[in-house]
Amino acid sequence: MITQTIVNGLLLGGLFGIASIGFSIVWGVMGVINLAHTAFITVGAYIAFSLFSTFGIDPLLSIPISIIALFILGYGIQTLIINRATQTNLLLSFVVTFGIDLIIINVVILLFTTDFFSVRPSYSGASFEIGGVVIPVVRVIVFALAFLLGLGCYLLLNRTRLGQAIMATALDRDIVRTMGVNPRRIYAIAAGLGAALAGAAGNLAAIIYPVSPFIGLKFIGAAFVVTVLGGIGSVEGCIIAGLLYGLIQALSASVFGVETQEISAFLIFILILLLRPQGLFGKRFFGEH
Amino acid sequence: MMITRTHLALLGLVALTLAAMALPFLLDGYWLRLATTIAMFAIVTCGLNVIVGFAGYHAFGNTVFFGCGAYALSIAMNAGWSFSASLPLALLAPMLLAGLLGWPLLRLKGHYFAIATVALNLAFAELVTQAGGFTGGANGIALPLSDLAPQIAYRRIYWMMVAVLAVCIAVTWWLSRHWLGTALRALKDNESGAEVMGIDTVSAKILAWMISAAMTGLAGGIWAYWITFIEPSSAFDPLIGVKAYIMMLIGGMGTIAGPLIGALLLELFGALIWAQFLDLHRLLLGCLIVATALALPGGIVPLVRRALRPARPAR
Repeated sequence: MITQTIVNGLLLGGLFGIASIGFSIVWGVMGVINLAHTAFITVGAYIAFSLFSTFGIDPLLSIPISIIALFILGYGIQTLIINRATQTNLLLSFVVTFGIDLIIINVVILLFTTDFFSVRPSYSGASFEIGGVVIPVVRVIVFALAFLLGLGCYLLLNRTRLGQAIMATALDRDIVRTMGVNPRRIYAIAAGLGAALAGAAGNLAAIIYPVSPFIGLKFIGAAFVVTVLGGIGSVEGCIIAGLLYGLIQALSASVFGVETQEISAFLIFILILLLRPQGLFGKRFFGEH
Repeated sequence: MMITRTHLALLGLVALTLAAMALPFLLDGYWLRLATTIAMFAIVTCGLNVIVGFAGYHAFGNTVFFGCGAYALSIAMNAGWSFSASLPLALLAPMLLAGLLGWPLLRLKGHYFAIATVALNLAFAELVTQAGGFTGGANGIALPLSDLAPQIAYRRIYWMMVAVLAVCIAVTWWLSRHWLGTALRALKDNESGAEVMGIDTVSAKILAWMISAAMTGLAGGIWAYWITFIEPSSAFDPLIGVKAYIMMLIGGMGTIAGPLIGALLLELFGALIWAQFLDLHRLLLGCLIVATALALPGGIVPLVRRALRPARPAR
């Protein structure tokens, strides 16, 4: 029983991790707390649903499409709106991204209503058993893909020139200009990357959860807690913190009941902020823009 | 006796309040409801202005005090207390909450504080939903109905909102001249600098948040009595705090008249424009939020002030 809970928690934790990486990168690189992040997740889920229901495309194959579409959306929003709004005051990003969230979610409602849909590929009911622990195949696939995407993102940031430019801009946006880096373009790319990861997470979430305009809201607590726990802007931190968060959620649900999940999430969040604001893997002051 | 600017300002406030008090005799039900909403949002914005505009702490989850005030009043009234006995609770409970939470939370800076208040707001909504018992849980609480005829009751609620708003504006104005306001402005500009100058920044911040919470909670309390039924999703709706934030931006952060002007403009605009498009209400609100932040980050009051100031002679 307890093993089953732990396995369930860890499998979901992978998804929590991938759903938070984009949020964490955007915060770490430009100091923007993107409240529209969960709306990006919702859009990813609807892309998976639309392609599945109209063209019968398997939700696993639609991931690249979600990634590309959301990259464009994130890049565009950053260039057209957020880069301009944060010129005067970085904290305006809260209000602006809340507004963007309202716009995106309500466009989704206009297009798809508030009904619940499901994405059920043929393998969705399959599961296997190891030592009495039942493991659904879909969740293993989702976990593995989330892990691969996280790894890809880590390599992109740490092993490529573009990644180095992004990290350098996060550290000092004025100095990078002298090295031929345009910070606004880097911001747009980072925002696109963040949105793309959210889109992938939404696409994966559509396979597990019912698709509705509120599917992204499941991840708002996770995004906050995982980002801060993992250390702002740290990809590897996000993945480990995501697993930890999934574990804590699963355990608290089995001990105190499912209803207390959110409360425990926010309590953990406030405690981390107070006790160890740099998170498990972050460096102090890294996210304080 | 010399008539100073102070006297003129006070006189202006009294005249404006009296004029606003006379409005219900001219307005029908729809417009009275709108006027009450404007006054309510102006109070919430005033409260937000104290902690954001003066102290520079961006409390995005101030709705938590609105909900706290609404619930304090509703629970007391359902326990058999009269409205006038319960209303002080809508002021005291949020104030106490802000005092208790402010001590740990106000140590956080910038983004961290902002995001912690968001989490606080969401956690409280969840807490009240799950608590059940006297909070009514997810089912909400119905308040005892007033014996007065609806028309008279609505008028009284409007008068109460206007009176509280007038007090809030007076408090903001007083704050801007008092040592506390000066201390808050100093710590907004440079907190460690203010500390070096001998300002007790911790107490100043907590006091500011308590004043902010008291204003917001009172609005929530009167609101609960007005709509007679509250539930966690309406009393702790994060949109209340965000709308107030937008109103503060429109009016001008840290100004005295800003909150009233912002609330007036946004609500009137809302009533005139998007009442026509009910489905698109939230979509248009989102667009307006983005447009305001892009076009008017400084607000109207500073804009007007700059326009009115006589042009400096060229040197």
